[in-house]
Amino acid sequence: MRGIGIASLFTTADKILFLFSFTLITASFFYFWQSSPASYAVIKSEQQDALTINLNEPQLLHIQGMLGVSTLEVKQGQIRFVTSPCRNKICIQSGWHHHGGAVSACLPNRISVQLASHVSNARYDAIIF
Amino acid sequence: MTTALTKISIGHQDKLVAGFAALAITIHLLESTLPSPIPGIKPGLANLVTLYVLIRHGWVLAANVSLIRVIAASLLLGSFLSPTFAMSLAGAIASLTVLGLAWHCPGKPFGPIGLSILASMAHISAQVITAYLLFIPHSSLFALLPILLTTALISGTFGGILVCKILQRIDNLKNT
Repeated sequence: MRGIGIASLFTTADKILFLFSFTLITASFFYFWQSSPASYAVIKSEQQDALTINLNEPQLLHIQGMLGVSTLEVKQGQIRFVTSPCRNKICIQSGWHHHGGAVSACLPNRISVQLASHVSNARYDAIIF
Repeated sequence: MTTALTKISIGHQDKLVAGFAALAITIHLLESTLPSPIPGIKPGLANLVTLYVLIRHGWVLAANVSLIRVIAASLLLGSFLSPTFAMSLAGAIASLTVLGLAWHCPGKPFGPIGLSILASMAHISAQVITAYLLFIPHSSLFALLPILLTTALISGTFGGILVCKILQRIDNLKNT
């Protein structure tokens, strides 16, 4: 009987609103959580300025890092480390990256690659208080 | 010469606002001590006072109680004019606006549960937008939105049920 008691507290509009919100939220999971394919990558190294590249132009990049030169390959919207003068080669083993928001890095060589679906023109990354 | 005294008359409405604001501030302070898994997720029990006042005493009183609560609680917690305060105020203004619109809908279709859901969803959406505009201008922030909206729907529904029960109990008390 208790269940019926709670159901009777909802008006018709409340029920419609609840179902509408539920649908909207379910849709928002799909909308905000889908990873769109990346089209740009930002390559940062301690040794040189940040580089923004288009992932749809096939090329080999030679990036100067702290230990030496790392080679990155760009092909069909993907990017990977090909060679790197680090010890464990984790960056190379991580393979191809193509999702927006994905990050790859060679920490020993101080090089990071961040993938994005559009070129960011934000003035700040974040503000901390 | 006698000093001119301005007599401030305290009406019934003022007493109601003061009493409900005090209640809301107390709940707000107690709630701020609860641990939260993600910033922004909390039961929002202080807003139930706003909802009760809206249903029983109208929107103007509810707006008074809500805004006094946000300002007074921030002064007591030491967060006045801080980012937390900005988000709290934005949430309060958004939920008051939505409550005002829903409450004055022709035919008053929404019950306490519907009003509570609308208010909590407006509250959290305004907070995320404020956080995005002022503090974290990064689109990844919106990845939190589905989770926050889910908790808003759950806490809004339970809050609305609680307000229904409170209204029933108070009516029972008045009738006895």
